[in-house]
Formats: sequence, C-alpha cells, structure tokens
Amino acid sequence: MDKQHYLMNAGIPLQIEASMPIPWSSDQSFFNPNSSVDHHFDSDAFALRHLIGKLDRSSPAALPSLAADPGFAERAAKFSCFGSRSFNGRTSSPPGSATPGQSMVALPRVASSPSLKLNGSPPPRNRKLPGSGANSNEESSVSEQIPSGETGSNSRKRKSASRGKNKDHRSNSPKEDENLKRSKQTENCENEQECNENKTNQKPPEPPKDYIHVRARRGQATDSHSLAERVRREKISERMKLLQDLVPGCNKVTGKALMLDEIINYVQSLQRQVEFLSMKLASVNPDMENLLSKDMYQQSTSLPQQMYPLDSSSPAYYHHHQNVQQQQLHSTNISSVDPLPLDASLGIQIDGFAQNLPQFPAFTEDDLHSIVQMGFIHNTVQNQTSNMKVEL
Amino acid sequence: MQNSSSSSSLMVKQEFFTKWKKGLKIYSAFNKEMTIMERKRAIKLSADVAIASTRSATTQWSRAVVAEVSSSAAGAARIAAEEILGRKLSTERRKAQAGKKIVRRRRKAAARGAVRSSAAAVAKKVVRNRRRVLKRLIPGWKKLDEICLIKETLDYIASLQVQVDVMRHLANAGETLHHQQILL
Repeated sequence: MDKQHYLMNAGIPLQIEASMPIPWSSDQSFFNPNSSVDHHFDSDAFALRHLIGKLDRSSPAALPSLAADPGFAERAAKFSCFGSRSFNGRTSSPPGSATPGQSMVALPRVASSPSLKLNGSPPPRNRKLPGSGANSNEESSVSEQIPSGETGSNSRKRKSASRGKNKDHRSNSPKEDENLKRSKQTENCENEQECNENKTNQKPPEPPKDYIHVRARRGQATDSHSLAERVRREKISERMKLLQDLVPGCNKVTGKALMLDEIINYVQSLQRQVEFLSMKLASVNPDMENLLSKDMYQQSTSLPQQMYPLDSSSPAYYHHHQNVQQQQLHSTNISSVDPLPLDASLGIQIDGFAQNLPQFPAFTEDDLHSIVQMGFIHNTVQNQTSNMKVEL
Repeated sequence: MQNSSSSSSLMVKQEFFTKWKKGLKIYSAFNKEMTIMERKRAIKLSADVAIASTRSATTQWSRAVVAEVSSSAAGAARIAAEEILGRKLSTERRKAQAGKKIVRRRRKAAARGAVRSSAAAVAKKVVRNRRRVLKRLIPGWKKLDEICLIKETLDYIASLQVQVDVMRHLANAGETLHHQQILL
C-alpha cells in the first residue's frame, strides 16, 4: 500500500483512510478476487499525472497550483478507481468530450464529487453559475460550451442524486451562506482546479494524530455532527464500492437501491446454491465414505483435461504416489509435497492411474486433500484466464 | 495481486474443505444409513460450520452461525460441529443484549413522524427497505447496524462464494465419476 504511505507522508487529507484499521482491504485480499484495487491506483494515477501535464501545457496559469499538490493525482486516482466505471461513463457521455483535456477538466470536479455528492445539494446549485463563469475564463483550447455543459450535467446529476440525501439536513442554510462566500472566491479564480487547490492549500497539512482527521470540504458545515455524519457516509460508500467489486454485474448499476437489489439477489442465489449443491451431493452418493473416496477418483479423472500445460515428467513422483497408493491405512502426508508436480505426474500417467484406482478404493484424507487442491488450483487458474467470477 | 488474492482464497478453500470433510466423516461414523434428507442436512450443516470456522469468530455472522448450531443441534450434528471448531459448544441462550439495540432503533423510527411523499423520500424508503431485507439474509442480523451490515455482507458473500465453489467442484467431480461408471 505505498499509495497510502505517500499520502501520509504528504500530509494530505485522506488520513481517514490511513488511520482507519485496514484489516479489510489489505489482509483479506481475497475479497477482491477480480483484483487489484492497487493496480487501478497505479494506472489511474499515472494517467492522471499525464493528463495534468497535458493540461498544464494548455493552461499555464493552472500549472503551479496543480503541481503544488502532489497527492492530487493519487487522491483523484483513489476516488476514480473506486468508481472508475461510473466516472468514465460520465465523462464520455456528453457529446464531443473526447479529448483528455476536456475530461481532465471534468475529472477534478468529478474526483471530489463522491464526497460532495454525498453532502452537497447546495454546493452544486451555487456553483453551477460561477463554475461556468470560471470555465469561460479559461485560456485553454477547451471550448466553452462543452465543459460548461459537461460540468452542468455533472452538477445536475449530483444535485438530483444528492437532493434526496440532504432533505433532512438541518444545516442547509449555514451551508448556503458559506457557499455564497466561497462562490465569490470561485469567480475570482481563473480555473476551477486552482480553486480547489486554493482551498486545500490554505489549510496546512496537519500532523497525524491519534484520532481520525476529517477535512471539511468546500461549502460544508464544519460542526461535529455533520462531519461525523460525513465520515460515516464515506465509510459506507467506500464499503459499498468494495461490494460492487465483489458482486458480479454490480458495476453497471449505480445508486444505492439498485446496487442493494443486486446484492440481495446475489446473496439469495448463493444461499440457494448451497442448498441445491448439498442436496445434489446427498443424492449423488449413497454413502459418505464413498463420497470421500470417490471424490478422489473424480478429481483424478477430471484433472487430465485441465492438465495439458503441465507436462513435466517426473516418474519419481509417480512412483512416490504409487507407494502412497499402496499404503492405504498409513497416511503419508502428501500435502507437504508441492501439489503441482504431483498433478503433473497424474496428468501423464492417468491411464495407468485409472487402472490402479479400483484396487485402492480407500484413499487417505491427505491424498484427497491434495488432489482437490489441484482441482482448485486449476480451476482458479482457469477462472482467471477466462475471467469468470461466478458460473451460474 | 491477482495471484496473491487467489492464493489466499485457495487457502481458505482448502481450510474449508478439510473442515467440511472432518464433519462429514463424523456424521458417517455415527450412522451408516441415512436418508437423503438427513444426508443433505448433514452436508449443509458441516459446510456451514466449516465455513464459519474459517473466520474463527471474528465476524458477526460466523458467530451467529455457530451459536445457532450450538443451540439447536442434536447428537451427531453437535459432535461434528465441535470437532470442526475444535472446542465445546455452549448451550446457553443468547443474551438479552440484542434487545436493547432493537428497541433503540424502533424508537428512532417512530420519532420521524413526518410524511414526505417526494421522490427523494420514496427513494430513501426503498433503500431502507432493501437494507432491511439484506440484513435479514445474513445470519446474525439482529445485531448489525448499517456500517457493520455492509462489512458483514462483504465477508459473508466472500465466504459463500468459497463454499459454493468447493461444493460445486465436489458435485462436478461426483457427476463425472458417475458418468464414467455408467459408461465403463
């Protein structure tokens, strides 16, 4: 997690993430079977830095402010990685916004939008006008219509999405006052990204302490209740994004209700599958012991179809396995042997093996174990290559 | 990263499989002849306890599964579960602490009396209902609040995936053998 180290060193706010205990995403990494949140980080951060460089060339005024915030790319990458698909959808949907420069214009707003989205129905409303005003001041090659249209659509989307969430916010009115003040500041800024940077640069990075640091974002009330509320909401949304990665087919849907729907369906289907499979297992084999010993046969016979790539011939292993076969009662610990060469040998000698099978019906648990291991290895390899998460 | 995640899930699968087989062996040692329904129940119970024990009681749902088994398990089931977990099961009833949380939640819900029929309020209601439904799916749902709900769901889904994967492998293997036996 070098990204987080970087963020911590830069003293950039996101210490929420850093100081929260992370047994979740780092240790139990099998929650992201598909992968690589970190992988997304790298590619997105790189892409964003590249885009920042491009934008700097086009609008030199924005250069120092953007470059001044080294963690900006990482932060944006972090936000974008969690919702990369939705961001891409948003930035590419408005017509004509094909150039990365334009998407870069949209990205910073969008990058900070997950947090704003949760809270800010007033901010987008107030920022819409100064936003388009600021955009019109841009000297970049970006045309005026499209960014403002884009940001307008973004803010509209944000507004409609977040309006529902803020109906019962008592602190709406103080927020709007703050927004009025801040929006004037926006108009003075030449570029929106610069304004974001101004706001974050004005607050010097705080040294990491014991408790969780929360940065009050633009136009947000700073009282403890709404801050805590915002932290809580961010936690929830972050975890929902993890869920999105876990549940197949959840990437396309946005919005809590649909996603929850998908998750519910998925959990129900998994539970039903367990029931069904246990019934199937109960019916296939008349006897438990037969089940345990037969499964060895099955694994060995189903393996050869999957084992073509592993052709390393190792007769020594085969003989070893034969010896094991002969020792029915005495269980040699095969699991200590590296499973791959073992199944390689199985792959080659499968005919002889199948003939040997009836003579040695009762295999020990360790044999079973290792053989099913092989089955898992192969199947996981297959799943990776075919990128199947769930076969339903 | 993919490899490490798949290898750790592999370890979980292996652990689950070993524990599951342990439970099944105990069942088969107890009574040789079981009806199909008994077998199915045995399989499912062993699988559930096994997958819950891979979490070693760190998550709410795993604790709830174990508690449910310990409070409502008869002879062979109990011993199988104990063997899988490696410890004795306690037969005590669940504490009454769970009640407090529920009461608090009900009061909160009653306090919001105002009826707002705007689209946003409807959307909120939909989301809330779905959260409630999701909550009920997860074992041990009574003690879950919103944040924990999502965390537990994550963990539970991952474990269910492992369980289904292993069981499916076994079932497929059984099927291929069955076909082979028929053909041969």
